[in-house]
Amino acid sequence: MKTTSWFTLYKMLIQTSIRSRMQYKFNFIIASVLAALIQISEFLMVALVLHKFGAIKGWSLHEIGYLFAIMTLSKTLYRTFGNEVHHLEKYLVGGELDQLLTRPMPVLLALLPQNFRIMVGEVLQGGFILCWSLAGMMHSGQIGWTAIPFSLLVILTGAIILFSIGLATATLGFWTTRIEELQTITEDAARTAAQYPLTLYPKWMSGILLTVIPVGFVNYVPSLYLLRGELGAWVLIAVAAVAILSLAASLRFWKFGITKYQSTGS
Amino acid sequence: MLYFTLASKAYSRNLQYRGAHMVHNLASAMFGYMYACLWIGIGADHSLGEYGTQGMVSYIAFTQSSLWISGFLTNGLGIPLTVRTGQIALDLMRPVHLFTHLMAREWGQIAYQFVYKSIPIYLLFSIVFSLQWPSEASTLLFAALGLAGASYLSICMNYIIGATAMWTTESSWLHWGNHAMMNLLAGFFIPLEWLPDWLERIAWLSPYPFLLYVPTRIYLGYENGSLLWGTLLWCVLMTLICLAITQVLRRKVEVQGG
Repeated sequence: MKTTSWFTLYKMLIQTSIRSRMQYKFNFIIASVLAALIQISEFLMVALVLHKFGAIKGWSLHEIGYLFAIMTLSKTLYRTFGNEVHHLEKYLVGGELDQLLTRPMPVLLALLPQNFRIMVGEVLQGGFILCWSLAGMMHSGQIGWTAIPFSLLVILTGAIILFSIGLATATLGFWTTRIEELQTITEDAARTAAQYPLTLYPKWMSGILLTVIPVGFVNYVPSLYLLRGELGAWVLIAVAAVAILSLAASLRFWKFGITKYQSTGS
Repeated sequence: MLYFTLASKAYSRNLQYRGAHMVHNLASAMFGYMYACLWIGIGADHSLGEYGTQGMVSYIAFTQSSLWISGFLTNGLGIPLTVRTGQIALDLMRPVHLFTHLMAREWGQIAYQFVYKSIPIYLLFSIVFSLQWPSEASTLLFAALGLAGASYLSICMNYIIGATAMWTTESSWLHWGNHAMMNLLAGFFIPLEWLPDWLERIAWLSPYPFLLYVPTRIYLGYENGSLLWGTLLWCVLMTLICLAITQVLRRKVEVQGG
């Protein structure tokens, strides 16, 4: 099959997924609004502290808002397209992966559009905090307008890195079947940690967040250059390289893992 | 006796998943560790009032461990699921009051989470952060009372949230809303006195401070037991609301099952 045909097929599967989701419009709207509110309450928690004490280790509220927003938007992009990777356990435990294996297409391509998620709430919240923090820093002259296109690029590379971490964790499920608990560590806890400057943590922990689970490259490392002018422009190339390398490595691991798959279904 | 059996069954059902829960504890501990690091970072440049840096670390360690008995309860006490499957009709027919029945089961869950989640997480924090334990028995007693009250309040709140599933298919939004309120108003991450004035006042008009802030302050020795009157007042109020709601939902049962 040609690449273009794969793409058409993928588009069609996504459209079907969206149509099924839109059957419950009211639920969709309520869920989106609440998702945004809950996310904002999490940011407010830190914003209130910063309001009271000022900067944390030299990072201002705008800068921390930026870290927070980039992480949210990268995660949103990853989960919009790759939500089912995060929910692979359901397929492993219920044996639903068997059905996908019999389709005449790569498993990942069959898996991803199963449940295309439109995360309006997260986009609203992340978008709002990003605009607010960028505007704040531009106003004070800390950054120029070039930060905008670079930020969009960083969101994209961030999404690729988060997807790779998610895929690698999910792949471990071929051996362990249960992955939810592990995901809480590699995805949720790691992501939450990287919403704040990594200098807050002891060296061993920031080391892990930059190597084993490279969430630091999603927002923290690019921010060092974009917001604070530290390191140099090569940082952006390094971030892109990390994204490509993690994607390649996780795809390889997935391919290997799938050969070890044993159905658990009834 | 029936209630005890319900509770102990809920407790033992969880024992099957001890291994997975221990991995989850590690994640929960990581969250607490991260929040503590944030306060250590802030404490490096600012004085943290009566707490000081070590006090704030103790504060976070205690709230993070308490979350498992006053925050992370079964979503809506499981009512939304039983409404969806139609099981609720049978539950209402039982010769046991729905509220006390579900509550007994939840106490089993809480007891399990206390033993296998709160305690291990707190012990881990105690070692990592060299935390000091209260020296007076009365402090421990009052803190335990505060925590028990917090669990009870949380059971009631979850019951109310669950009961709304009888009328709406989207009770989960209330569940998440409740979580958001806990983040902000229960003093989970920020002690209430550091909130903006207006928000602090709103918080004290709600039951949220009694879920985490009050037991934590008592445990750390910043308060005597007098705030427990507030816990008691809210417990009584919530019980009345729960009983009233049960009356209403007994009258008209709508199940989505099929």
